[in-house]
Amino acid sequence: MKLINLVVLPIIVPLFIGTVLLLFRKSLLAQRALGLFGAAATLVVSLFLLAKVAEDGIQVVTLGSWAAPYGISLVSDMLSILLVATASLLTLLVLWYSVYSLGEKRELSFFYPATLFMLTGINGAFTTGDIFNLFVFFEVFLMASYVLIALGGERIQLRESMKYIIVNVVAAALFVITIGYLYSITGTLNMADLAVKLGDIGSMGVISTVAIMFLVVFGIKAGIFPLYFWLPGSYYAPPLPVLALFGALLTKVGIYSITRVYTLIFTTDVAFTHDMLMMLAIATILFGSIGALAYMDVKKIIIYNIVIAVGVILFGVAAFNEVAVTGSVLYLIHDMLVKALLFLMIGVLIFITGKTNLREMGGLIRHYPVLGWTYLVAVFALAGIPPLSGFAGKILILQGGLEGGFVWQSIVVALSTMVVLLSAIRIFIYAFWGAEKSFNSPPKAKYVNRMIPVVILFVITMGYGVFIEFLMPLFQATGTQLMDSSLYIDAVLGGEK
Amino acid sequence: MESIIIVLVGILTSVAIYLLLSKNLIRIILGTAILSHAVHLLILTMGGLKSGTVPLLGENAERYIDALPQALILTAIVISFAVTAFILVLAYRVYQEYGTDRMDELRGSNDEQ
Amino acid sequence: MLLFYILFPLFVALGITIVSSKIRREFLGWIAFSVPVVLFALFARHIPTISSSEAIRTTFSWIPSYGIDLTFLLDGLSLIFVLLITGVGALVILYSIYYLSSKDSFAHFYTYLLLFMTAMLGVVLSDNIIVLYVFWEFTSISSFLLIAFWFHRKNSRNGAIKSLLITMSGGFTMLAGFLMLHVMTDSFSLRVILAELPQLTDHTLFYPAMALLLIGAFTKSAQFPFHIWLPDAMEAPTPVSAYLHSATMVKAGIYLIARFTPGFGGDVYWFWVITCVGLVTLFWGSFNAVRQNDLKALLAFSTISQLGLIMTLLGIGSAGINPAIGEAKGLYTFALFTALFHLVNHSTFKGSLFMVVGIVDHQVGTRDLRRLGGLMRFLPFTFLLAMIGSFAMAGLPFFNGFLSKEMFLTAVLSIGDLPIYGGAQVGWLLVLVAWLASVFTFVYSMILVFRTFTGRPIVDEEYKVPQEASLGMLIPPGILGVLAIGLFFFPNLLSDYLLKPAVEVLVEDGAALAPKIYAWHGFNTELFLTLGIITLGIVAYLLLRKWRPYYQYIPSNWTFNTLFRSTLSGYERLGERVTMRYMNGNLPSYFLYIFSFFIIVMWTTWWIVGPINVTFDSPSSMTVYEGLLAVVMAAAAIAILFAHSRLTAILLNGVLGFSIAIFFVFFRAPDLALTQLVIEAVTTILFLVCFNYLPEWKVEKLSITKKVRNGLIAIAGGLTVTIVGLAVNNYTKFESISSFYENSYELAGGRNIVNAILGDFRAFDTMLEGLVLFIAGIGVFTLIRMRQKKGAEPRENQ
Repeated sequence: MKLINLVVLPIIVPLFIGTVLLLFRKSLLAQRALGLFGAAATLVVSLFLLAKVAEDGIQVVTLGSWAAPYGISLVSDMLSILLVATASLLTLLVLWYSVYSLGEKRELSFFYPATLFMLTGINGAFTTGDIFNLFVFFEVFLMASYVLIALGGERIQLRESMKYIIVNVVAAALFVITIGYLYSITGTLNMADLAVKLGDIGSMGVISTVAIMFLVVFGIKAGIFPLYFWLPGSYYAPPLPVLALFGALLTKVGIYSITRVYTLIFTTDVAFTHDMLMMLAIATILFGSIGALAYMDVKKIIIYNIVIAVGVILFGVAAFNEVAVTGSVLYLIHDMLVKALLFLMIGVLIFITGKTNLREMGGLIRHYPVLGWTYLVAVFALAGIPPLSGFAGKILILQGGLEGGFVWQSIVVALSTMVVLLSAIRIFIYAFWGAEKSFNSPPKAKYVNRMIPVVILFVITMGYGVFIEFLMPLFQATGTQLMDSSLYIDAVLGGEK
Repeated sequence: MESIIIVLVGILTSVAIYLLLSKNLIRIILGTAILSHAVHLLILTMGGLKSGTVPLLGENAERYIDALPQALILTAIVISFAVTAFILVLAYRVYQEYGTDRMDELRGSNDEQ
Repeated sequence: MLLFYILFPLFVALGITIVSSKIRREFLGWIAFSVPVVLFALFARHIPTISSSEAIRTTFSWIPSYGIDLTFLLDGLSLIFVLLITGVGALVILYSIYYLSSKDSFAHFYTYLLLFMTAMLGVVLSDNIIVLYVFWEFTSISSFLLIAFWFHRKNSRNGAIKSLLITMSGGFTMLAGFLMLHVMTDSFSLRVILAELPQLTDHTLFYPAMALLLIGAFTKSAQFPFHIWLPDAMEAPTPVSAYLHSATMVKAGIYLIARFTPGFGGDVYWFWVITCVGLVTLFWGSFNAVRQNDLKALLAFSTISQLGLIMTLLGIGSAGINPAIGEAKGLYTFALFTALFHLVNHSTFKGSLFMVVGIVDHQVGTRDLRRLGGLMRFLPFTFLLAMIGSFAMAGLPFFNGFLSKEMFLTAVLSIGDLPIYGGAQVGWLLVLVAWLASVFTFVYSMILVFRTFTGRPIVDEEYKVPQEASLGMLIPPGILGVLAIGLFFFPNLLSDYLLKPAVEVLVEDGAALAPKIYAWHGFNTELFLTLGIITLGIVAYLLLRKWRPYYQYIPSNWTFNTLFRSTLSGYERLGERVTMRYMNGNLPSYFLYIFSFFIIVMWTTWWIVGPINVTFDSPSSMTVYEGLLAVVMAAAAIAILFAHSRLTAILLNGVLGFSIAIFFVFFRAPDLALTQLVIEAVTTILFLVCFNYLPEWKVEKLSITKKVRNGLIAIAGGLTVTIVGLAVNNYTKFESISSFYENSYELAGGRNIVNAILGDFRAFDTMLEGLVLFIAGIGVFTLIRMRQKKGAEPRENQ
């Protein structure tokens, strides 16, 4: 086995370029060029890896060539590489947007290296096959996110980053405690090995307990009810590109982790653990729905929509059949794309008006038709209106939910779409329609600059909906791999067990 | 011995939680520090205590103590140190900006920019 | 081919958007006009094929992996709808060219309208239910855009969002219903589902699917109590109201129910729900239409009422599917036939009436009945058209409405003879409701004509003498008027070519069972009912001033409108209150939630999966020193809670750290002990330095209850961690993977196993741990540097 394997590259490339960036601390050009290059290179290697995984199945590399479960395994299955590729793509586009919007001072405050380090951590968390290594990757991207959230050091940022960090420190402590328990039971850290050993034990109280503890730990990250309290405040504070990254990527790591442990490791007591997850998912949707309509602030509205989506995705995971899980992954990727897109659009909106409160906006459609109409279409995509991007995932989630016998829960999920739609379309109705109100009317060139990455992301997102058939084999493979954990286990442990 | 340490971990956790629930930023930060102590002790216990000799080869022991938790703790210690350092500097900056270390005065209202 | 038909308007719409700035405005209208005309001709070409009960089908694949493909099917039922969509569409566009003012954006208007046309054609032609749903939602979206066409008006925006909310909620529920059908039949194809449904009546999802589907249909077709969006949708430009909110979109629900009749029809609930909802809507719509002063509102309620009528007929007709119906099957097929017949009739007279009202609004500047009167002199042709439309709507002879109204009464009377479902007991009540509704219908039809065109106008300074509308605005309603009369004299032409093939789709042998339409049936019950309607209607119209004021005694806040509004605003307010309450930005509160949740969820787990096994057995023994150290640590930890100065607290924390280092020594972890000592020392110093800048540690002022609460949570949290710890500690089934590392010398060339793990087996962790430290360094650096930079400029910038 080669030392530098394709699986490692999406982690190593941003790490390496991020480090190089530190050498050119003062050069704006170098920061921008290398920053974008780093994200682009990561995207390219992850696409190569995606092709390889799609062709040859799950890719595993054991670092230092120590056979699993003794060394640390990195495992690229479809779920992992799809998320890695999406995360890299979004990082690239958000960085592009930042070039025009962030401001030199912030750009030179280690914005690009920190973002690339965050990408390292996120990609690593998506890829690692070792539960303790997952914790370490969590810390990597969290540390980078601490730097990013405080970037620029406005008062509100300092205050909110304080809360954000402390909540995450406590979550990390719980995480390590839980890993300790798991190690005590099984004597191993490798996730595939854990799956095998817990499978041998079968259903047992202690294991269900540990499973629920993981739900709490990852739930804090993912923002499930009632653990998402930190989220709206903290996400509100940083500059918009950072918010877009956080909104699109960070909670998704939590969702990914729940999905991973609840499809691979803790599958012995599904009747209890997954029902618990189902309850929490529904509660998350309900409370997110309540929050989304409570605000007139454009950022808050979209932030609460993150919470609703978390519930919807986890609903599919909890339903725990192949259709629903496939739907969840489809929806997860959609949500990453569309949330990043919406945040960037909101960013342009705030840039144009200089306000965040909807009541102070109005009549922009005549002046900014492209932003307005793309926003409206993006909202319909967010709500899962066919044939846009949210639709295929939502249909499969619902269908899987119904097949699993979760009838009323499925109806809740279907109706939550209404809240999503109403909350997000209010922005369109107030800001773009309605009586014209004063706004900044910034130079056209600046507006156009910002719109370029936005429109590119828009096209990608819409393509993800209409041409989903071309990607469908990937997602079907994902569903199969997730529901048949032996594929993962055999790939890692070589099938000898 | 393990049971005693686990109970001790429980006590430390209780103290940490109590501190985390207070209004004062300093107390909250101390709470996180104590929590990390509890965590490190717990991991060590999870590998079994004193079940073998020091994990240095050449000690000619029949069995060595489980070395993996020790490695994990080392990693965890360094990480929690990094985070603690960052928090402390941040706390200092927050206090400078806001002139208070009381969390209830650091809420921020919902309509603020 | 069908796909091309469907997408044709969409392509033209895109074209219009692109070239809009380069072409004269009216020209855009004519381009748009050509689309439905061409399509109408293309579809009409298929009439002979379809009337011989054949269907035309095209398929393209879209998401074959999940059985979602673009299969379109043109059969008898679809054909009626596509001809209505394109036919009325052509007339409406022609009309709109003259109706829109120079201030309006033609490009947007026709783009939306053509988008709608594509969507609506898609709904009635799709065989795949998911594709049907796609187009279904697109009709809602285009309707939303068209209602808000004058988006600077607040009412337009509100009407748009209201219709979107109601119809789209219906759409989402319908989707859930569709998915249930898919779960039941494992197919997305309408034909397959319809074929299999009658065998699946025992399936648990049968009734949920039916209910959800009906909600979708009822919301779209403005059935009681979901009808409330339609009057508000009248904020749209009048051609839009004529087209979407009267002739086509609101009939999508009718289409859906008709389409599913072969599948669900024959079920008792299907029969009663649709019949009753239809009748209630019929009555409620006509009852409310009488009280309206705005002509368009009157037409909106009238549309609601007429949709209810068609719905009722579909409900009654569904009995014909039930095999137990036996001999009476023909009678109920008759009801389905009538439903389709009235559907066409309604589109003719209601379309023309909307256009008439549009002319009045356009030429006079108001459509308020209280200000209108005597227009007969100024708008003679419009008056003529209004008469034709209204008389047809009222069900007077020599107009098509008479025929379908008579047949409707026959159908309602037939419920009393129903051999199944227990219809005989309540049949008379339904007849009474239908009859009363017809009286109201008669009254508002008369109001529409005579209050507008006869009598005296209110002449004030704003009054200017109106002029007859241009020919372009008169021709479209004229054509519809001619149709309304023509269909009275030659109804069987329509019946043979369109209605019978459609009924054949709904019921087996439908075409053979379908009746021949006669204007004269002899002296039967229906005729006497009609005479009663006309007599009582005339009396009621003449005495209108006497009884209409009583409407105001109906409490105005007891309507579904108020319910809708207060639910929505209540929901927002609740959301705001709840959210502001728990999202208070206070970190300790967040911890309160997090730890409470943690504790609750853990104890719930034990409660449900059974208690976990906790024992105090320990594999290893304890020495006195170790015991003492444990006591010291516990004491130090608890003492922190009572410390009076921060220095004490920090030092106590240091004691904890150093004690742990000693424990590490006891527990055979020398490397750890060393690291812990160094790190603890540095941390303590950092604490000291940093706290030097922070305010002195004050005694916390917390109420006793809060202290107790926090204390309980803290103790419970610690207890939980302990319990799980004890439980797992006694559960060691597997040999740890660590035994492998004992070969570290051979494998990695290191004697120190811990170092070998860190440096080799798990080197990746170590590298990343370094990265974390490194990023933290960057963070600390920026935080401090930022401070220094800021020091120069004024700090207060909030």
